[in-house]
Amino acid sequence: MKKEFTPRITSFLCKWCSYTGADLAGTARLQYPTSIIPIQVMCSSRVDPVFLIKAFLSGSDGVLIGGCHPGDCHYETGNYHARRRFAIVMGVFDSLGLESQRLKLSWISASEGPKFARVANEYTEEIMALGENPTRKSIFL
Amino acid sequence: MSSIIIDTSASRGVTELLRFLLESGKIDAAITMRNDPENNTYDLGLITDASNLDEAVPLIPVMTVNAGQALSSISISRKKIAVVLKPCELRAFVELVKREKGSLENLLTISYTCGGVFPLDTVITEQIEELLPKYKKIILNGEIPVNTRDTCRTCEHFIPMNADITVSVIGECKPGAGCVMYLNTEKAEDFAEDFAGERSDRKFDPSALKKTLDARLAEKEKLFASITKDGPGLDRLLDTFGKCVGCHGCSSVCPICYCLLCDFESANFDYNLPYFEEHLSRKGALRLPPDTIFFHLGRLTHMSFSCVGCGMCSDVCPVDIPVAAVFKKTGEKTAALFDYLPGRDVEESIPVMVYKEEEFPDIG
Amino acid sequence: MIPREDEPMTDAQRKGAVLPVAKDPGDAILEFLRLAVASELADAVILPMKVPSGDSYAWILMNDVSLMDDAVPIAAAMPVQGAKALRSLTRKSPGNLTVIAVMRPCEIRAAVELVKLGQVHADNLILATYDCPGAVQLQKYVDDPEGSEEHFSRMLQSGKPDNTAKPVCHYCEEFSMFDSDLHFGYLGLSEKEVLVIPGSDKGSELLAGLGLDPARDLSDWEKGIDSLKVERETARKSAFEETGEQLRGFSGMLSVFANCIGCHNCQSACPICYCRLCYFDSETAQQDPDALITAAAKRGGISLPEDRIMFHVGRMTHMSLSCVSCGQCTDACPVSIPVAGAFSYVADRTQRTFEYKAGRNDGDPLPLRQFRKSELPGIHELVKNAESEGPSHE
Repeated sequence: MKKEFTPRITSFLCKWCSYTGADLAGTARLQYPTSIIPIQVMCSSRVDPVFLIKAFLSGSDGVLIGGCHPGDCHYETGNYHARRRFAIVMGVFDSLGLESQRLKLSWISASEGPKFARVANEYTEEIMALGENPTRKSIFL
Repeated sequence: MSSIIIDTSASRGVTELLRFLLESGKIDAAITMRNDPENNTYDLGLITDASNLDEAVPLIPVMTVNAGQALSSISISRKKIAVVLKPCELRAFVELVKREKGSLENLLTISYTCGGVFPLDTVITEQIEELLPKYKKIILNGEIPVNTRDTCRTCEHFIPMNADITVSVIGECKPGAGCVMYLNTEKAEDFAEDFAGERSDRKFDPSALKKTLDARLAEKEKLFASITKDGPGLDRLLDTFGKCVGCHGCSSVCPICYCLLCDFESANFDYNLPYFEEHLSRKGALRLPPDTIFFHLGRLTHMSFSCVGCGMCSDVCPVDIPVAAVFKKTGEKTAALFDYLPGRDVEESIPVMVYKEEEFPDIG
Repeated sequence: MIPREDEPMTDAQRKGAVLPVAKDPGDAILEFLRLAVASELADAVILPMKVPSGDSYAWILMNDVSLMDDAVPIAAAMPVQGAKALRSLTRKSPGNLTVIAVMRPCEIRAAVELVKLGQVHADNLILATYDCPGAVQLQKYVDDPEGSEEHFSRMLQSGKPDNTAKPVCHYCEEFSMFDSDLHFGYLGLSEKEVLVIPGSDKGSELLAGLGLDPARDLSDWEKGIDSLKVERETARKSAFEETGEQLRGFSGMLSVFANCIGCHNCQSACPICYCRLCYFDSETAQQDPDALITAAAKRGGISLPEDRIMFHVGRMTHMSLSCVSCGQCTDACPVSIPVAGAFSYVADRTQRTFEYKAGRNDGDPLPLRQFRKSELPGIHELVKNAESEGPSHE
């Protein structure tokens, strides 16, 4: 068994949907783990690939992007671009054999408090199973 | 579209074409590789006077700078310019045109079936002229010269894309039997009108180069396997890039990295002391300057889908990191996500500028 | 370290404390640093450590004493100029961590220049140097780490660079310096001891805090250093004569830099070139394409990328006053141009013009930050000489 640890999941949440979804989960008193460290962004497309990489290399055990469902972007097309950028980062991670499971994108609308709680719980469990990110202790990065 | 049979060597044929174009005033300048026999050096020359073409070695397997990068600012001139470039250089230039960092409008592009180039180390330590006979023999046979850049030995895109004129070097150009220049566009026909040489309606036949293609593909598989031979992952990445000295030479010679000030050299990644203190308290140590791996991973996400595998980055690395091999491998993966091929079509948008509503159903 | 408020010590005042040596000088330095961190006189240290692939070194900032076992204070190669490590740590602010950095004299001298340029804040840094025999060329080290280590251990014993060392190391006269806060001296001494010599109040206080008494007279050590200096001075003279000959005139410059591909690696490896965006990479320096072609037409042709010689001459005017001849530029050059030799030669002349020595920590401001109303009487001579030689049109 892996030693129990509290993962750190850096979460970039769109102001118009996922961040509000997280609020809703809170006001509805739905339980979700403290592993989620929310950072509000104006749109999921604000998340440059280097944000994901910086968070990953700085020892985040997981990195989550929460954006509006395709078609629902407050800025009309931002999340389509976010999806492409995310695909590129995943492609880079896969080709280098890095743990791409540590990166996740999820569409969570402002009304989906329960979905936010579910994603937070499930992703935390997934990361717990993966264990601590080895970048946390590496000094040569 | 027609073709021209040249009865001399391909290199002389191209030089003569440039001479004709300059002398007839059809172009204002020609850009081609040159040799300075006095210093035994090679460079990319911008030539305006036909008498200076004596130094031209247009097809020399040497790349001192990716010509696509060098062309970037010059190409927006209103002057007419003919440029001889390697297929990967032309592809890189097409990628720059898509980024509004160059224009094909006033250019006549001449490219050729490329046998690969010698690494810069070889260029400065050996006599290239002496290596050429063996090199030519090998590429003529559809084989791979072992002493060329690793990305050249594994390059499957050695047939020019988008060139106005394609010079056939690898397969057809047999000594004594003459060479062929294929005029691929109206522009080429216009420029080459009145240029001496036997016209023919011969069409370029890529299938004749199947042997080269197969050899390169097999070599590519080997190279890509070697990058991850001790297993993939973070440790492997540290083994490969851990000795990076942070000179960013790879990015400055990269034709795709056109940013005047790279994000990774900007104030965005200057840190205050608390940043270092956090690292110290967490792991007891950190590297200075920080962000060694970050730079390479970041660059991979920023430009790998446009990587043409020219190999300049590996050549300038002071600590021999196989940058080009890693970028080529990852680049193929990221480009394939979008069925994208860098340099294929100037009308094709770079993947991060466009999107489809229905794609990547697994994401989200 | 700067601005220097304390009076520099006179030679007679200078004395060192003796550190016992178990294995080699590096070990004695490590032991000293462990003690400093354990006694909370320093929060962290900066030392070289082998990278995971084993064929190079990286600068590591560490406060975990156990990690220091893997550090190599006197490393065979200098892949990254130490001043750049110090800059990344203190560029924005001095912070409140007391950090001891052990680096080659040329790295500390570059750091001193960066302090003057406002790029390093050394308030809480304790800068330590050691007798440097030279550094193995980076390419040679990467090609053969084990062999290079053997070469270097012989260099360490003799204090003399061998043919694997960087060319500039052979004629470096500043391989042992007092201008640091601390200096570890071992040349000319018995193998059983290293002297730690304070060069500033900061250094003296650290020694006092550790209960080390600088009581040892330095004459043995100084004799060792002086005899090596004589050799280096001779080498310097002949190297400069040779370089001066090669660089003479425009054609000389052209032939030395003939292979330049314009990658600017020399500039990015240079500790002094701190500009985020070099002038020569900026839009201002980019030529208008039509003008470029017109310019080419005057000569029948030009080389691309354009202005490669201009870049080197320009850089010489921009930074040679602060050049410490560390040789990083040559190491980084992909086409083996002896950049450092040329820059060192030019720097020697430009610095002499102002009686300035880059890296000297004596409170002297940068020459271009000040002027005297009456100075440089020879400038008219210079102009006259240049006119009589006539401009070169090659």
